[in-house]
Amino acid sequence: MMKYYGGIDAGSTYIKAAIVDSNGGIQGCKVAPTGIDCRSTAREMFGKLCDESGLSPSDIPTVISTGYGRRLIDIASENVTEIKAHAAGGIRTAPDGRKIGTIIDIGGQDSKVIIIDEDGETKNFAMNDKCAAGTGRFLEVISRVLKLTVDELGPLSLQAKAPCRINSLCAVFAESEVISLLARGKDRADIIAGIHMSLARRILGMAKRAGVEPDVLLTGGGALNPGLVAAFEDELMMDIYVAENPQLNGAIGAALLGIRNS
Amino acid sequence: MNQKTDKFNRRRARFARSLARSTQTALDELEASPDLPQSMGYFIDIMRDVFVKQDKSLISARLQGGDNKKIIGTYCLMVPEELIYAAGAIPVRLCGGSYEASSMGDELVPRDTCPVVKASVGFHSLDIISLYQMCNAVIVPTTCDAKRKMGEELSKFTEVWMLEAPHIKETEGARRQWLSHIKALKKDIEKLTGKKIRRKALQTSIRMIAGAQYEARRLYEIRKSAAPVIMGREAMLALNAYSYDTAFEWAKAMAGLNDELESRSDNGRAVAGSNAPRMLIAGCPPIFPNWKIPSLIEEMGAVIVADESCMGSRYLYDPIGATEKSMRNMMAGIAARYLMPCVCPSFAPNEDRLFRLLQMVEEFRIDGIIYYVLKGCIIYDFELIRVEKIMKEKNIPVLRIETDYSPEDIEQLRTRVEAFVEMLGTKKSNMNYEL
Repeated sequence: MMKYYGGIDAGSTYIKAAIVDSNGGIQGCKVAPTGIDCRSTAREMFGKLCDESGLSPSDIPTVISTGYGRRLIDIASENVTEIKAHAAGGIRTAPDGRKIGTIIDIGGQDSKVIIIDEDGETKNFAMNDKCAAGTGRFLEVISRVLKLTVDELGPLSLQAKAPCRINSLCAVFAESEVISLLARGKDRADIIAGIHMSLARRILGMAKRAGVEPDVLLTGGGALNPGLVAAFEDELMMDIYVAENPQLNGAIGAALLGIRNS
Repeated sequence: MNQKTDKFNRRRARFARSLARSTQTALDELEASPDLPQSMGYFIDIMRDVFVKQDKSLISARLQGGDNKKIIGTYCLMVPEELIYAAGAIPVRLCGGSYEASSMGDELVPRDTCPVVKASVGFHSLDIISLYQMCNAVIVPTTCDAKRKMGEELSKFTEVWMLEAPHIKETEGARRQWLSHIKALKKDIEKLTGKKIRRKALQTSIRMIAGAQYEARRLYEIRKSAAPVIMGREAMLALNAYSYDTAFEWAKAMAGLNDELESRSDNGRAVAGSNAPRMLIAGCPPIFPNWKIPSLIEEMGAVIVADESCMGSRYLYDPIGATEKSMRNMMAGIAARYLMPCVCPSFAPNEDRLFRLLQMVEEFRIDGIIYYVLKGCIIYDFELIRVEKIMKEKNIPVLRIETDYSPEDIEQLRTRVEAFVEMLGTKKSNMNYEL
């Protein structure tokens, strides 16, 4: 009989869940806003995910949680850090034939750079310090000023002709910089492209210190933004690959760790 | 005027109260551990008397033993305590580790000053704990920029003697000069106590401190063992307690702790499993009651088996070498002891520190290094460049943590430390599996 493993990535903004079979095949995935009670959100969505995948929770004895709220998830039997989960997930969700050396994860509240070895074990990692610069929150703040949704940022920025230079890395200062650019009549697309480059620069500063090794895989909700991916390529001068389900990478990784542990 | 004093007193009371609370919390955490060695009680009591009870009579009883001995405050590791004891006075080390005191100091020194200096200035400015009030003089060696300028600021509150420390120790001139400064310091101490330092008394105090150093080294030997018998946060606190105790009493208590730990070893009682990563803290000194980083590392499942800092392995490691017991010979031995083995990054070149770190990695079977940088401490951060390089060659992962005494970044740090410990743990269990 096929065995199944669950992974829950309780992020600051969204909770992601995934179920894999013992061959590493993905059975189902789900994303939901974290809300104020991530414990019950997780339980509810995992139940729904089981239904959709035609499984019952009792078929899945091993559930591993990760992410910011990992310790709160009571349906999980153990928890691992995001670093470990993303490293495990990155190998599985990378495009075929790519040997991943670096995973860059852009989450809602933090960003991380993970350098992995051939076996997928973490060799080194770096994370942003205690501010919003270089995280998804940075984009959320800016999108609000520009009266756009976060999803609209990427496609629009690809139309930029002359990206503005945003000098400030601080989310609050960058916000006022954007406001003054708007006041000077700059094009929105150019401003967003500038924001993406600023964010990429900030994260790559961290990545270079950690020692970037090809190939580079982008994960996390931020990787859903094509404008940001383009900015990473321009700033790093390297090909950047996007994970199959970037937002779900942590959850898939956590689920895969269940197989390895069993 | 009266109104001002009243305001000052109320403010001081508030700080004293929150210091007592946060220290109590830190001590409660330590005492909650079922593996806490019984002999740790002595050292915990010292910290409780100083920071929680803040009781002058308790501190005085411990340090002065009923006599009216003078108390001399010291900073850094370059003040020869032997001279102070030989003159019949008692040294206490004042380098501050309190968040409350550092936020007090925030208002008195530039923003980018390190928290050790902020806390030290904060303690003096408010006389928050009686220990600082009790000092008849305070000796500040000119080690780093912040400590040097701190000396100036402290002179507003207390009598400060600056002790000029060289920054290059390899030159003959610097050594000669250092010796002459130590001789001048001896005269100053004699003047304060009104007691001339005699050969015999100096010999006795050298022997007494050597006794404390012997016990400190014993503790280090015990921490090298493959199965840890004491948590790092406990061992570090015991060492730190030396700052507020007399060398003689501390050595006795430390001997008791070492005996207890050795019997644990004999009985095969370990406080952590064989897969727990063995961590080295290097860099800035963790100073009690700011136990944020040591607690966090061990809460995440690692064991701190060694700490390379001026509050740790460097504190009481090297004994004084004096072959003849002449005054001249002993003074030369003291001057050499407080200069040559000191690997504070205020020295350049400071290759000895790298050598020492490599040695520790080997001897303590270190799996990973937490490189602790206190905000504003440029010189420790500078040396990270070299430390990272040599550790890369040895395949020892290094995690740099930059923080201060405030608790606000604890959650972000937790994620990073946890991931680091997890990474080392995976590596270690794979290796153990292959074996």
